[in-house]
Amino acid sequence: MPLYSFYLASDESREYRGGFMKGIKILERLLATIPVILGIAVIVFLFMRLTPGDPVDIMMGREGMVTEAEIEALREEFNLNEPLHVQLFIFFKGLFSGDLGNSITRGVPVIQLIKDTLPATIELAIGALLFALVIALPIGIISAVKQDSIFDRIAMAGSFLGISMPGFWLGIVLIIVFSVNLGWLPSQGRLSYLVYLERITGFHVIDAIVTGNIPALLNALKHLLLPSITLGASMAAIIARVMRSSMLEVLKQDYVMLARSKGLSKWLVVLRHCLKNAMMPTITVVGMQVGVLLGGNMIVESVFGWPGLGRLVVDAIFNRDYPLVQGVVMFYAFTFVMANFFVDVIYTYINPKIEM
Amino acid sequence: MKRQALFNVGVLLLVLLFILSACGSQKTTVDNDGGTIVIALSREIPTLDPANYRMRECENVIRNIFDGLVTKTHDGKIVPEIAESWEAISDTEWEFKIRKGVTFHNGDPLTADDVVFSFERIIIEGGMEGQTSPRKGLMGPTSGVYKVDDYTVRFTMDEPNPTFLHGVVHQQIIPKAYFEEVGPEGFLKQPIGAGPFKFVSGTLNDQIVLERYDDYYGGSPDIPPVGPPALKRVIFKVIPEPSSAIAALKSGEVNIISGVPADMVPNLEADPNVIVKTVQGTRVYMLEMNNKMPPFDNPKVRQAMNYAIDMDGILEAIYGGNATRLPGALMPYSFGANPNLKPYEYNPEKAKQLLKEAGVTKLQVVIDTEPKRQNVALAMAAMLQEIGIDAQVRNWEWGVLESEIKKGTRQMYMTEWGDSWLDPVGFLNPKFRTNDRANWSHYSNERVDELLTRAERIIDSKIREEIYHEVEEILYEEAPIVFGYTLMEVEASTANVENWQPSMDGRQNMHRVRITN
Repeated sequence: MPLYSFYLASDESREYRGGFMKGIKILERLLATIPVILGIAVIVFLFMRLTPGDPVDIMMGREGMVTEAEIEALREEFNLNEPLHVQLFIFFKGLFSGDLGNSITRGVPVIQLIKDTLPATIELAIGALLFALVIALPIGIISAVKQDSIFDRIAMAGSFLGISMPGFWLGIVLIIVFSVNLGWLPSQGRLSYLVYLERITGFHVIDAIVTGNIPALLNALKHLLLPSITLGASMAAIIARVMRSSMLEVLKQDYVMLARSKGLSKWLVVLRHCLKNAMMPTITVVGMQVGVLLGGNMIVESVFGWPGLGRLVVDAIFNRDYPLVQGVVMFYAFTFVMANFFVDVIYTYINPKIEM
Repeated sequence: MKRQALFNVGVLLLVLLFILSACGSQKTTVDNDGGTIVIALSREIPTLDPANYRMRECENVIRNIFDGLVTKTHDGKIVPEIAESWEAISDTEWEFKIRKGVTFHNGDPLTADDVVFSFERIIIEGGMEGQTSPRKGLMGPTSGVYKVDDYTVRFTMDEPNPTFLHGVVHQQIIPKAYFEEVGPEGFLKQPIGAGPFKFVSGTLNDQIVLERYDDYYGGSPDIPPVGPPALKRVIFKVIPEPSSAIAALKSGEVNIISGVPADMVPNLEADPNVIVKTVQGTRVYMLEMNNKMPPFDNPKVRQAMNYAIDMDGILEAIYGGNATRLPGALMPYSFGANPNLKPYEYNPEKAKQLLKEAGVTKLQVVIDTEPKRQNVALAMAAMLQEIGIDAQVRNWEWGVLESEIKKGTRQMYMTEWGDSWLDPVGFLNPKFRTNDRANWSHYSNERVDELLTRAERIIDSKIREEIYHEVEEILYEEAPIVFGYTLMEVEASTANVENWQPSMDGRQNMHRVRITN
């Protein structure tokens, strides 16, 4: 008995200490992200300046009359004549006071540009994610349950296609079929020009729901459909394959056999007992893909004239708009680091065996 | 249970179908009110401030909201707009009479004060709320603008400026009182001009909605019809991807697209719902050589390159009838072009001979290009190979290539330069004066420098013309570049767009355009 109680007490205190330590560890991890983000800031700063090309030259274009004085004035204005370390100092000084500077080509604060374009990108990412899940989960599950059936074969061939189709090509094909030939869906932008929608959050779907604006909601949704499918296609393919293989794994488990032998129907077992367990790998993959959705949408945004962050940064890179590229990349970095951090934290709570 | 799953999938498909069917595609419709036209913009524009941009697409939008003192016809003639008339009082002074009865979109009358205010923001250093306008260079040595009376303004310049009027074409008038009342930020939120359309709503990276200004004074009397615009609404929609723009045109989502790639023209022409129109472009495309790098420091080698490349053949094969070869540096219809120049003939034997004379036996070159002109560069390389030069092509992003060219590390490169004024001041000066802004061939000739600098400040067009003829002759002989070509600019519209004509400088003024069913 004493031995047992000793163990018990020690377990309790370990648990208590463990909770406390976990808090400390989380704080540590959080602090550790700061140097990562600052490091990324320096790298982006240097890479942009080491890339050949001059923002003012590009801005003035390849035509017409420009005076030397004009070019000088612009270079002066954006501190481009200062030595590199002074520019870096100016950048960091702004950074610590929460100021990412003004865009060279647009003359507007970088923060403002990010704020304006971010909702469009997130909305598209969510659309793509929903499309991918809605398509991929049933397909993955059915394919696993009916392994080697015609459905399975067609679905897996389809998912192979989904993985290998470049977004650019798929986007154009969808436009040609659904916009040009069938005339069902618009191919460009987020909203038709005659549809009025008050901007509250910048998310058109949410704004339309909040203001009870049904025409705008339908309009926003139909604009969202083709880009979401294009962006979500490869993700759907990956999720379907992962879902299928993890479901197959789970279906071989003993408890499934037991449940079936108890007389439960096949689908009930699948949906009630297997699905939860088979979801774990899928959630991991989805988590990883969300980063891809936010960062990898530049092409889709261009094809569908979607005014989001991806297009903004591509434009900024070609124009050598240093402050804008720095700001957006910093933002991406921050999002990725934070997403990683939260995934780590969540893991430790879901499965205490994993330590920070 | 199997049924259950099928049922689920079925519900899903039904929902999708419902969403699909709930939405017909948006076709532009014409109400009795003049209808709406949608124009594709090939890139996001940075601003709607008429003093703070340098991008042509930006001017397309701004020009529909704001009018200028003068404007250009689609074939490049300068005609009055807000100005009734003008005269040069001396070599360095110009006076403009302003049309009476012109109003801004808020109803305020346009007077000399507004003109002075608008131009001061542009020509004065730091005049744009502390910043210097990137449009200052277009006005050359113009240094002052004064009000003479309520409807007369006078411009003064430090030196004579033969291209002054060309510069004025590109500047638009903003309302002084309104701007001072709302401030620069308020102005950007709700810009007001005296142009045919007023800004209604929109974001610069998505779509910009303009609506007819009913009290518009009518525009330039030299470009009929004069009066308020026929269209009710003009929408500029950003579509950066050319193939998406073409698809949007075919589906009727947009009505006008510009910058159509030459290889898409047959496809569009075959579509009965699409009209393709072309206009002579004002950009020059050329193959430059690094005149500081051997063997291209030898004029004979540079001439040899001009003889070795069958420019006519290349243009015919790649662009069909849509390209014009230039005999010398200038476009043949540019002011000051020398009519006596004949293009270098295609003569590989002569090219070989010249290389031999220059003592060049073995030559390896890389022709640098941007992907969009890769096919031309490849054809050129093939022709150089025929005369025994080991020629290859390399693709670049322009920002990177330009800085390499400026450092002088490259050999041969395809470049372009726009000259919508069709005046050598905006072309020969930046491209061939020693160390000037776009002298990418690193060419240097004292006589050329002297002539170009002199002609920049002479008003008498006869004398200027003679000077440029001489410059062109020198350039022709010394061949700092392989003389290039210019292209037709291709625009396309849906078949229901009327009275629309692409203009040489690429501007899209919708004032006179109509749309039918």
